[in-house]
Order: sequence, then C-alpha cells, then structure tokens
Amino acid sequence: MAGFVPPPPPPAPPAPPKPDEKVDYFDLPCPIPYEEIHREALMSLKPELFEGMRFDFTKGLNQKFSLSHSVFMGPTEIPSQSSETIKIPTAHYEFGANFIDPKLMLFGRILTDGRLNARVKCDLTENLTLKANAQLTSEPHMSHGMVNFDYKGGDYRTQLQLGNGALFGASYIQSVTPYLSLGGEVFWAGQHRKSGIGYAARYNTDKMVATGQVASTGMVALSYVQKVSEKVSLASDFMYNYMSRDVTASFGYDYILRQCRLRGKIDSNGCTAAFLEERLNMGLNFILSAEIDHRKKDYKFGFGLTVGE
Amino acid sequence: MASQGRRGVSDRRNPKNEGILSRVSNSISQSPILFQGRQAASDAAVVAKKLFKSTGKAAWIAGTTFLILVVPLIIEMDREQQMNELEMQQASLLGTPAQK
Repeated sequence: MAGFVPPPPPPAPPAPPKPDEKVDYFDLPCPIPYEEIHREALMSLKPELFEGMRFDFTKGLNQKFSLSHSVFMGPTEIPSQSSETIKIPTAHYEFGANFIDPKLMLFGRILTDGRLNARVKCDLTENLTLKANAQLTSEPHMSHGMVNFDYKGGDYRTQLQLGNGALFGASYIQSVTPYLSLGGEVFWAGQHRKSGIGYAARYNTDKMVATGQVASTGMVALSYVQKVSEKVSLASDFMYNYMSRDVTASFGYDYILRQCRLRGKIDSNGCTAAFLEERLNMGLNFILSAEIDHRKKDYKFGFGLTVGE
Repeated sequence: MASQGRRGVSDRRNPKNEGILSRVSNSISQSPILFQGRQAASDAAVVAKKLFKSTGKAAWIAGTTFLILVVPLIIEMDREQQMNELEMQQASLLGTPAQK
C-alpha cells in the first residue's frame, strides 16, 4: 500500500539468548514495520526491471541537499485487453530534489509528462513519525495522496493511514518472541466500498527469514529467504489468490559481491529475469536488466548508468 | 476359398508363373500385416516430428534461461576470483595484510 521505504531502522538490540538463558519477554526487539514484512524477499525477487535506456545523475550540493536528473528512453507497456502486449516508445526526463536530515526528509520529483511525486518523512517525536506521499498528474481523477502516522513502542509498532478517496487503514505488529512477530491490518476504501482485514507473521533468525501473510482480499503470500553465506542469499515466494485461483511461485538468488550485485529469478509463469548492478568506478554504476517471458514470448532488455553517490 | 479355387482353375490356361506371381504379390500387398506396418510407420513419423519440434522448443527455453540466469553469474564469480588472486599476490609480494 505505502510505496514509501524509509531508511532501515536502527539495528535490533542484543544477539539472541543462548539456549540455556531464559527469554526475557519484557525486553523483546522492535519488530519490522508491517508494510516491510516481506522486505528481504522483495529485495531479492523483485528488482526494478526496466526496458530501454536509463541514465541517473545525482549531485549533492550540500551535506543535506541534493539534486537528481534522470533520463529514460524506451518502450513502455500499455495494459491491453487482448493477450498481445502493446508497447509504445516513450522518453522522459525527470528532475528531482532531496533534502535529508535525521529528523526530516523531503523528496520531490517532476517528470516531463506532467507527473509530480512528493514524499515527506518527519519524526515528530522520538516514537511518532509522520509520512506523506502524493502523486499529482495532469489527467483528472488520477492524482492521489496518502498520510501515515507511525508509532513505535518498545516491542510493537502501529500505523494509521489516511488517503484520498476516503481510504483508511490501520496496522499493528508485535514481537512475540525474539524471533517471531505477528501483526494484523484493517483497511476501508470508501470510493470502492471495500474493506478488508489481514494478518501476517514473520519468523526471523540470523540466517533465514520466513514470512506469511493472509488478507481478506483473497491473497495468501508466503516467502522464505535463506542467507547461505555472507555474499549469497536465496529466496522463494509463493502467492495464492483464493478468489481468482491464481497461483505463482518464484525462486531467486541474490549475489552481493564486492564490485557488483546480481539478482536472478525464475517464475512459475514461465518468466525469468536477471538484474546486474556493477560498480565501474567510484560513484559510477552500470545496470543491466533482462526479462524473458516464455509464455507470452515477451523479451525485455535494458541498460543504464547511475552516476553519483 | 471357393473363389481362390476358381482363380486357380482359370489361371492354369495362362503361364503358371504369372498366375502364381500375381496371386503372391496380391496377397503380399493386401495382407493385414503390411497394412498395419504402414499405419505404424506413419504414426511413428508423426510422433518423431512432434518429438523433434518439442525437443527444439525445450532446448530453446533451456538455453535462453541458462543464458540469462547462469552466464552473468559465472562471469562475475570468475572476475571476483581473479581479483582475489591478484590481491593475494599483491599481499604476499608487499607483505601487507590482505584487505577486505
């Protein structure tokens, strides 16, 4: 729901207790935020694949303030009713500004096709955080905005979400043992007159992460990530929609080497993808993205360059 | 049986080889064994063609998937290994501790 990813929370306190030590149930670590419960699996299995050429340049003017310029040229897919994929070549330039402070973060992006993205993250007090994001377009009725209030307790987190179109959401997640955390969420969308409830669980150790999520919209998602070594981690994901009887399973790997990061995945829909980020020089990254869909015979390849820290 | 006998009687007026030859070749070309054999051969041809095509498709899918998933991995791991070797060489040469 919230597409915003805040910077990672401060590292969890002490290492897990040894087996003969009694677990102190009053001193559990703070759990991961509810919307990031699938974070590791998403990082490995859903890289930002793209088609075409991409160039990003980030220039820091100050310690806190930076500007970014980004050019993209390539075909974009249009959702079509028939099974054929329709691609239209598009090109755009995006200008952005970032202000980063420990207590306040502001991001703004504007594109040449008239879209504006803005995000705010503000620490009102030590435990209460305000996040807001907005997307404005020149097309009528396509703009939306959302505000989140996050409260972080000792071993729990709650979030309240308000969006335009009468969208209300709330979520709560609690650490039950040093490794296990459980949470739930409810939402109500006034515009579509839909409401839903969902539950999630996450089991986390140093070497592996297993998560499960069920929602009343019909989605069941399970994921498992195993950290095989310092450089390699393997991930698998299973998604099932019991309303539309849609099943997808995917497996992927994530290699983090010194000079590059390589992610590959294969899907049960007959889709394989790979994403490579290679560090050519200090501050210069080369990106390659490939995606092959054997069923629809759709092939997408992209390359790009990222300059700046 | 009776017709065969009648044929045999009329053929005795013709040279014996012709009669016997035509009878034998007829029996060979119209025998049920040969008919089944021909059917089996055409079935085998259809199956072989399908197998050939599907092997080709499977080879294409396996080949492109291997190219996308495994080849970059091999290249990167090779480069990493080369860099490690270079570093170890430099460390042993200069006497500095190996850097991470």
